[in-house]
Amino acid sequence: MARFLAAIPISRPIFIALILGGLAGMLFMVFLLEFDRYSSTNEFCTSCHSMTYVEEEYQKSVHYNPVSGVRAECGDCHVSEGVFSATWDHIKGGKDLWKQLFGANYDDPVVNALHLPEAAFATRQWFRETGSATCQRCHVLEAIQGKRADTAAIHREETQGKSCIDCHENLVHRHVPSQETFKRAAWNQMIEEEFGLTPGTAERLLAD
Amino acid sequence: MPDIPIGMMAAVRIGAAFGLLWFGEPLLAAKVSLDASHWGNPAGEECVNCHTKSSAGLALEWRESAHAKAGVNCLDCHRAEATDPDALKHEGQVIATIVSPQDCARCHEVEFRDQQGSVHAEAYSLIKERIPAMADNLTGMAVQAAGCDQCHGSRVKVKGDGTLDPDTWPNSGIGRINPDGSKGSCSACHGRHLFSKAQAREPEACARCHSGPDSPDAEIFAASKHGMIFASQRHRMNLDSPEWVAGKDYTAAPTCATCHMGAAGKLPSTHDVGMRNAWALNSPVSQRQYLVLLEDGGKLEIPAGVPIPKRGEEIQKLDGGLAKVKAVVTPERRREVMSLVCLECHGKAFTQGFMKQFDNVVELFNTKFAEPAKAIMADLYQGGYLTPLAFDEPIEFTYWELWHDEGARARHGASMASPNHAWWEGMYLVGRNFYGRFLPQVREAAGAEAQAIIERHLTDEAGHGWLAHPDQVNPILGLGLDKGGGDG
Repeated sequence: MARFLAAIPISRPIFIALILGGLAGMLFMVFLLEFDRYSSTNEFCTSCHSMTYVEEEYQKSVHYNPVSGVRAECGDCHVSEGVFSATWDHIKGGKDLWKQLFGANYDDPVVNALHLPEAAFATRQWFRETGSATCQRCHVLEAIQGKRADTAAIHREETQGKSCIDCHENLVHRHVPSQETFKRAAWNQMIEEEFGLTPGTAERLLAD
Repeated sequence: MPDIPIGMMAAVRIGAAFGLLWFGEPLLAAKVSLDASHWGNPAGEECVNCHTKSSAGLALEWRESAHAKAGVNCLDCHRAEATDPDALKHEGQVIATIVSPQDCARCHEVEFRDQQGSVHAEAYSLIKERIPAMADNLTGMAVQAAGCDQCHGSRVKVKGDGTLDPDTWPNSGIGRINPDGSKGSCSACHGRHLFSKAQAREPEACARCHSGPDSPDAEIFAASKHGMIFASQRHRMNLDSPEWVAGKDYTAAPTCATCHMGAAGKLPSTHDVGMRNAWALNSPVSQRQYLVLLEDGGKLEIPAGVPIPKRGEEIQKLDGGLAKVKAVVTPERRREVMSLVCLECHGKAFTQGFMKQFDNVVELFNTKFAEPAKAIMADLYQGGYLTPLAFDEPIEFTYWELWHDEGARARHGASMASPNHAWWEGMYLVGRNFYGRFLPQVREAAGAEAQAIIERHLTDEAGHGWLAHPDQVNPILGLGLDKGGGDG
């Protein structure tokens, strides 16, 4: 073995570099793991004011206050499992930070509500693309019994080719219609009524 | 709506439009003559699998229905276009929760056309001006959704997030304004999802709304000879029969549907439930009413006494739009049409005699109570003895109930042959409350002026002369003649 190693032309500085590089790599991985963990917490996500609006509805949902006591935090649903996927999701999610800094004033509750549908559509698309993988961290098909007699049978027999998001949406955040049936004018009117704004305000805000 | 029904029998169309004016061959409930390729959407089969588990009762009701047997599935009725105001995506399909009359008209076109413009379809529109006084002031908004609107129908509101506003839905009121703009709710009478013929022919189909103090039609029917025979001979009513022509398919008794909608002899059936009504019975003063059929398929009720439009004339509709008059049906013609139903079982003189008794009660109510009371109320408002606001003075309740409750009961009782409702539940209370409450309240409100107002409107000819003879004796009170005072 020693002879074999000796055969590799490895000098002392290279050896040290390899050790340091390995250590740095390990530290980087630990950093990523910690970064993914921390940046998936409710605390981190809602450190932007704009995110507190979706938090309000979430806090009224069963995912925040389940009878089981198992609370799903932002990242449990919205960040994939595994360090590489999680990191990739966070890199993609960086666009939210970019928009927060340079986009519309999402801290304004009206602007936030006006843009919510597009956020919901994008998120649903992500769930479809990932096969609702994050749901299945907790919800295991075989374990779904439900309170009604046929809940288990429906999940066993009616779910071929479907993932959770195909049937379950609007569970946690404010109700947003499907992209296909969404009507911008009606949504704008609803938000205007809700905030006591004059008709047309929503359109103006969206154009800004 | 890509597949508008085509190929309806021309005879059915023309017959339905002109059924009031002439009678050709007996026209039965319109058969759906669409080709079966118009329904049986394969994607609809999947709905059934899941809904048999998720809402078994509903799915099983549908399974038993004529729809299911004909291959009409969930999606055939519930499918929607993404642009529909109430469209939603559900398990990959664009659907709507509400199946409006316009949706049913994909197949049931004749019934839809009958029903649009009928007093049923207009049930919300007819009272919407009264809602602020009744629902808002007298009680509170909550009761509109749970009370008024459940019979009259709601104006269904689709919220901006695509959900149906619970202040307006669920609702199967018969004058519902649907998100697609059509009026009415077929399921008001045809309970979903079985849509049983027999159920809709039962008097109970009407009882959800036509009962209670202001329109106790279910109670009136039950108390009438017709209702009594129906109850005892129900097994002979042939309620499940595909065709249901009075005098042919059944003879035991009529139900609500028989007289107001049903086929009888040569008379075709109709889904315009008010078409055969010669009188408006639920108004402060009853008027005979003309039915104006418009070129655009709309209808208008015009009370006798106002100018009646002529054929071809352009007139304004309730919604403000203009339409040409296609035909005007007189109250006499409407009465004749209703009488055709009677004639299946009764003789002509019997029928005419009955109608005379009915008309006499309506006219008695009008001349003796309704017209004087209305005129007195007008004087009280005119003279400033009452505020214009409704229901802030006791006499306003008395007057309202005089025509809306007791007066309506009396008139309906006479129209459907319940002596108890014509008299004790109706005209007796009208009389009692007119003399015992209304007039004393007039005196209270108008003070010194009251007597002059009352004398202006209460005439001997209208039957109020008896008040001028306080010494007249009658044993009615059970006191004995000698104690009646002044046994002259």
